Amino acid sequence: MRDGMPITESFSNQLDLFMAQTMAEKLLTQHNLAGEEVRAGGFLEARIDGAMCHYHAAEPMHDLAIEAGFKDGLPKVWDRSKVYVLLDHHQPTLSQKLADENAVARREVERLGIKCFHDSEPGIAHQMMLDYGLVRPGELVVGNDSHTLGYGSVNAGATGITRADMLYVLLYGELWFQVPQSIRVVLDGKRPDYPIAKDIILYLAGQYGDDFAQGMSIEYSGTLAPQLSIDSRMCLSTHGVEVGAKFAMFGMDEVTRQFVTTRTELPFEALSADQGAQYAREIRLSVDDMPFVVAKPHQFGNVVPVDEARGTRINQAQIGSCANGRFEDIEIAARVLKKHKVAKGVRFLISPASQQVYLQCLKAGLIETLIEAGAQVITPGCGICQPRVGFLSDGEVCITATTRNFKGRKGSAKAEIYLGGPLTVAAAAVAGEIVNPKEVFSGL
Amino acid sequence: MGFDLNRLIRGRVWKFGDSIETDAINPYYQYPTMEELKQHTMEVYRPEFPREVKPGDVMIAGRNFGCGSSRPGLVLREVGIAAIIAESVSRLFLRNSISRAIPIFVVPGITALAEDGDTLEVDYPKGVIVNPATGATLPVNKYPAGIEQIFECGGLLQFAYERYIREAALAGRSGLEKQE
Ligand code: SF4
Repeated sequence: MRDGMPITESFSNQLDLFMAQTMAEKLLTQHNLAGEEVRAGGFLEARIDGAMCHYHAAEPMHDLAIEAGFKDGLPKVWDRSKVYVLLDHHQPTLSQKLADENAVARREVERLGIKCFHDSEPGIAHQMMLDYGLVRPGELVVGNDSHTLGYGSVNAGATGITRADMLYVLLYGELWFQVPQSIRVVLDGKRPDYPIAKDIILYLAGQYGDDFAQGMSIEYSGTLAPQLSIDSRMCLSTHGVEVGAKFAMFGMDEVTRQFVTTRTELPFEALSADQGAQYAREIRLSVDDMPFVVAKPHQFGNVVPVDEARGTRINQAQIGSCANGRFEDIEIAARVLKKHKVAKGVRFLISPASQQVYLQCLKAGLIETLIEAGAQVITPGCGICQPRVGFLSDGEVCITATTRNFKGRKGSAKAEIYLGGPLTVAAAAVAGEIVNPKEVFSGL
Repeated sequence: MGFDLNRLIRGRVWKFGDSIETDAINPYYQYPTMEELKQHTMEVYRPEFPREVKPGDVMIAGRNFGCGSSRPGLVLREVGIAAIIAESVSRLFLRNSISRAIPIFVVPGITALAEDGDTLEVDYPKGVIVNPATGATLPVNKYPAGIEQIFECGGLLQFAYERYIREAALAGRSGLEKQE
C-alpha cells in the first residue's frame, strides 16, 4: 500500500538553529549526570525518575542479582519511592509458578522497603502507572517491558529496558543511553467520533515499515494531536515500540494537565521541543483521508486497507491490551453492540486494561450492553494479548485490537491473526467476517 | 560467560528474514524453561533449527531483528550461536544482547554477503566481516568505549556488581564483607 496514499514526507531543513533541541535531546540533557548538553547520537549516563517493574520484577530480578554476584540478592534500591512494583499481567494468578513468583515478589518488596506496590491487581501495569498518577510530564521513566513507551502520552520520556538494565537502575538510579534521532509525525485532521489511533499507527507501519522509527524518538504533533483523548495518545505512544521507537511523546496541553493533576500532587515540569530543533525525518498524515486498515498475519507492518481483507471469516474477535483496552475502545464496541448481536460462531472477547478502566466501563453501563449482545468480558490483564486466555486452534482466524499478531501469539502457529482498530474489530464481530466498519456502524 | 571482543568468530551461517520477533526467538509462553526453549527456538521460521544448530554457528538476519517484547535472546547463546549479525536490530534486543554480553553486530548489507550454510568470519578488532568463499567483506563498526567495557566485564550484571564492590570499598562500608 505504498502508492497513492495521502502522506507527504519531507526532510527537515539542515540550516535550522544550531542550539535548538528536540524533546528527546532536552529530556536527556536535563537528566545527564555529567551535566552537559547532549545531542542525537551521543552517549550518556542518565538519572532515572521512575522505575516500573511488572510481574517479572521480583523473582527474575532476585536471580539476576545472584548471578551478578550479590549472594543475598539485591542489597538495596536507590530510592524506595521511585521504584514501582505492580504484579500485573495474569491476575488472579494463572499457575503455581506465577503464584510462587508473586510470593517472592512480596518478600522482596518488603525486604527492600519499596513504597509503591500493587499486589496482584488485575490489569496491565502500564495502565495502572497512568491511572494512579505514577508518571509525571518531563520525567525519564523506565520499565522492564517494551510497552513502557506508552507514558509518552502524558509528556514523559519513557522507554522499555532489559532486565539487566533494570538491575542496574534499581541499584543506582542511573542508566546509559544513546540520544536518539527524532522523527516528527504530524497528524492533521478532525477527530472523528470514534477512536482512530490504532488505524493511524497501523497505517504508518504499513506505509513506512514496522521499523520506520528504529531507535528513534517520535514526537507527535499536528492539528489532530490536541484533539486526541489521552486514551488515544496512549495507544499511539504505546505502539511506538511496534515501529521500533525509543520514545513516543506528545507535547503538554490542557488535556494532559487535567489528566495528570487529578492523579498526582507532585510537581512536574513540562517538556517541549525548541523551535528549529533538528529532526531526522518528518512524516505527515492527513487522517481524514485515511482508510480503515488491518494488519494481516503475521507482522505489524503487513497492512492493507480493510476492504482488501473484506470477507475473511473470523472465529474470534478481541479488544484489550495496553494498546486498546481503554474506555474509548470499549465504548465504541458497546456503541456497535447496542444495535447488533455478536455473530453466531464468533467469540468476542473484551478485556479492560485495568480495574479502574473496568469500573469506568461498568458505571457507564457498557458492560451490560456488551454482555447482552453476546460478548465475553475478561478480567483486566494481559491474557487476551497472549496465549493465556482465548487460545486459537489450527486454521482459526482472529481479528484483534491488541498489540501483536506474531505467529503463535494466541496459541497455534497455524492460526491467523489480524490487527485492527476497536471499531473494525467490533464490526467484524457482528458481521462474522472482516468488513469495512462503514457497513455496520451508522455513526460514520 | 563473557564475550571476548578480541576473539575471531568463524562459523556456519543460518540466514533469516526481516522483523524476526522475540516470540519466535524466545517463545516462553509455551516453553517456560530454558531446556524447552532450546528445543523450540526459531522453529516457527525454521523447524529444523533447534535440532540442527551447532555450537559456533552464526546467525544473519534482515532488518529489525529481535522486534517485539523485551525478552532477551539468551537461548540463542545457549544453543551455541557465536554471533548475531543483522541489517538492523530492534533497540531492546540490542540492549539485551549488550547487557548479557552476547556478540551482536549491526551490519547493513549483511544479507547480501552470505547465504544459508556459508561460512562467515567476524574480526571485531580489525573491524571487518569476511565471507572466505567469495572474498567479499563488510566493515563492522566499533562500539563506544563504555559499551566495550560492559562486554569486557561479561555483561551489565557483572559491571553493576563491580561498581558496587568498588564503591563499597571506597566508602569503607561493610557491604563488602556482607556480599563477599
Ligand atoms: S497487554 Fe500485551 S503487550 Fe501489553 S504489556 Fe500486556 S502482554 Fe505486553
